[in-house]
Amino acid sequence: MMHTDDPAAARYRLDPARLDLAREFRAKIRGPHSEELRALLNRMRWGPLKGRWVLVVADPGRAWWLAEMPGKRGLPVKIDKSRLFTSLDEAEWHVFTLRWRALTGQELKLD
Amino acid sequence: MTEPVTFDTNGYLGYTDRLSVPAGETITFHVSSRRGDFRADILRVRCADADPAGPGLRLKPMPSAIDGEHKGMLQPIRPGSCIVVPPSTLFAPASGLSVGAYVFPTLIEDRTRSVMACWSGNTGWALTIGPDGAGLRLGTDAEPIVVTTGAALELRRWYWISATLDPASGRVIVTQLRLADGNLPARRLVADIRHAAAWRLDADAPFVIGAQSAGAGLYEAHVDGKIERPRVYAGVIDDAALRQFDADPRPGAVDPGLVGLWDFSLGIPTLVASDLSANRFDGRLHQMPMRAAIGVRWDGRIQDWRLDPTQYGAIHFHSDDIVDCLWQPTLTLAVPADWRSGFYTLRLRPVVEDPAQPAESYVPFFVTPGRHQPRAKLAVVASTATFLAYANSALRLDHVHFEALLESVLQLTPDDVFLQENPELGQSTYDKHVDGSGHCHSSWRRPILNTRPRSNPFNYAVDTHFLDWLEEKGIDYDVLTDVELDRQGAAALQPYLTVATLSHPEYYTAGMMNALLAHQGRGGRHIYFGGNGFYWRCAFHPACPSVLEMRRGLTGTRTWESVSGEVHMAGTGEPGGLWRHSGFAPQKLVGVGFVAMVYDRSGWYERTGQSDDPRAAFIFAGLDRHEPIGKFGLRYGGAVGVEIDRFDLELGSPPHALVVATSEGLGPGSLPSPEEFRTMVHGLGGDQNAHVRADMVFFETPDGGAVFSTGSISYLLSLGTSGYDNNVSRLTENVVRRFLDATPFAMPDAC
Repeated sequence: MMHTDDPAAARYRLDPARLDLAREFRAKIRGPHSEELRALLNRMRWGPLKGRWVLVVADPGRAWWLAEMPGKRGLPVKIDKSRLFTSLDEAEWHVFTLRWRALTGQELKLD
Repeated sequence: MTEPVTFDTNGYLGYTDRLSVPAGETITFHVSSRRGDFRADILRVRCADADPAGPGLRLKPMPSAIDGEHKGMLQPIRPGSCIVVPPSTLFAPASGLSVGAYVFPTLIEDRTRSVMACWSGNTGWALTIGPDGAGLRLGTDAEPIVVTTGAALELRRWYWISATLDPASGRVIVTQLRLADGNLPARRLVADIRHAAAWRLDADAPFVIGAQSAGAGLYEAHVDGKIERPRVYAGVIDDAALRQFDADPRPGAVDPGLVGLWDFSLGIPTLVASDLSANRFDGRLHQMPMRAAIGVRWDGRIQDWRLDPTQYGAIHFHSDDIVDCLWQPTLTLAVPADWRSGFYTLRLRPVVEDPAQPAESYVPFFVTPGRHQPRAKLAVVASTATFLAYANSALRLDHVHFEALLESVLQLTPDDVFLQENPELGQSTYDKHVDGSGHCHSSWRRPILNTRPRSNPFNYAVDTHFLDWLEEKGIDYDVLTDVELDRQGAAALQPYLTVATLSHPEYYTAGMMNALLAHQGRGGRHIYFGGNGFYWRCAFHPACPSVLEMRRGLTGTRTWESVSGEVHMAGTGEPGGLWRHSGFAPQKLVGVGFVAMVYDRSGWYERTGQSDDPRAAFIFAGLDRHEPIGKFGLRYGGAVGVEIDRFDLELGSPPHALVVATSEGLGPGSLPSPEEFRTMVHGLGGDQNAHVRADMVFFETPDGGAVFSTGSISYLLSLGTSGYDNNVSRLTENVVRRFLDATPFAMPDAC
């Protein structure tokens, strides 16, 4: 299988104690990021289409809903209309915390 | 924040019979409505980008005879390709039935699919493949008789399958022969049973290859995979004899029992499937399955089907092929002869607006100058071939790597969500069919969601930023499209002093490349405002002009690649892949060519020493010598972004060209295209790789012409910053006004 088609092609083992990486990301969502954080982000952004977190544009340039991909053409996108973001950075951080939990099995608690 | 109200942009969908229409001629819209009747009007597009941080939507109503209410009806889309032969009683022989074909399944899942069938609801017959293997289905007055081998065919391997029915004995034999492949030997499965003679082979239906008739011109049970040399014989002959028809018939040796034998290696550029039998049951391709597919006889010694078409005797069918929705026409617009050329759109809205659920949908088209209209000096080329290549892109829906590439959570527009939930619209040439093979056709005779106002802002919407800027500056222009460039060649550009290509003219036919080069060579000027331009070699299909055909070569930035031997296009025979690998790299045309994708952060330009050459002085009038150029811009924040191009003498950049500016500020997320390095090495990213850059290039051409290239997709998104008062806007105006001044440019003496 071609690398770019393979949901399992990204490799990075997240140490749940590396809260410094989460702090770095929260402080500078759009980067530039350290090499270690880039590896983590690449791992978080890679993976199966089923269950992938995405944003659905609610108001172009102004507001976005959190949503989840179904993993197969023709099935509905699950849009969570209770999660409306008015900042892309805020949305990016929220998805980061969801993926942190998925990778470590632990809630991300910084403070 | 109060709950956002989103526009329903897909309550009405439509497409046009032609992509572009000269003023004074007519264009027909085919509309499907989920919301009943609708109001229609026409708008001229100045800016199609809805991003509130930019100029915003700027659409000018153009009163016309079609303004007002119209009847709306839902028109379904029925994808799936096949070959259709008109009905004949010869397909229901009383003397027995023997049928066979080579097949190469690519998707079966839990559905039975008809390799060929003469089927009408419950009567007739079908040779099938499915979860229970190859099978023969025979119609009866009640439930059909189904005989299968019991074991599904393996995907992506060649099989010979056949079936015979002996009406005298009621014996049915189904054979499924896997041809030897790699370490796997040939393997034969046979089902051999007897049935009481209750079947009914008669079917008042067309004979169909790759699917079966569902009545009323509709088809079902589509095959995903290749079929080669299907044949039907009236009588009972054994499996080996049926395969013997592979041999070409000797002169004077027609077998009257042969009802049909279709040789797909004949007429590969056409929509006709030729029957070699005496009956001449030539079939017609429906929804354009892929021809020029390697067949069971391909020996790997050739890559170009034209060298030996008999090795390309297969057709690859897809259950999701769609090149024409075949909707009823809804509206016809006689474009007034005095309308200016431009980007136009049909707007569709509810008869009664509901502010809580607003609906507004667009069907784009392009008006080109009428035959007798005076022409502007400037022609802007709408990159319609590229729009088609990206039409209904599912990059944000189906691609594992795409979020990592963009380095941010993917944003889906409501159009993306609609496409996800309505895949029958057909995806783009970046996407794969349901069987995993790449889309190599894209047609405008279907709704295209991402090439219209309010669409995801890429290509079309970005290009309109230049129209917006021209209107702001009061610079007169005409609009042509790739269709005119392809069909009319250099003659389409003859009336113009200067041609502008926009943010992403990526897909180019041979005719289009040559048209621009000829224009440049006879004193014409060309401003290329984009990145990743003139990259893929493609062609409009000669037998189906609404279809763009392309093949993905074996390198280049691509999301799938053609399988071995299938790089040459069926319509023209030309090699698909990169122009760079056809000896005509973009550098040869415009001085720069694709080097990298830029998704982490955009950069800007800084002037080079060559910019001090007096030949380039006009470009920078009014700019400080050392000010960064384009360190700002809509969405990406810089004029150097998304995809960028570089100068390279080895690839054909003219030696007298001046690299007047080059990019700065790119980071590790600027990554080179695969054809830019021959082996993996450290330091490929833009923070370390000096080749990863956008070069701004100027050069003169023979007879007073010139070329100016920016080499970046995001360049046009900087034009509108600070109310169009910025150095990208100023530089652009310097170049455009000089390029519209008839004073000849002079090539350096050494050229």
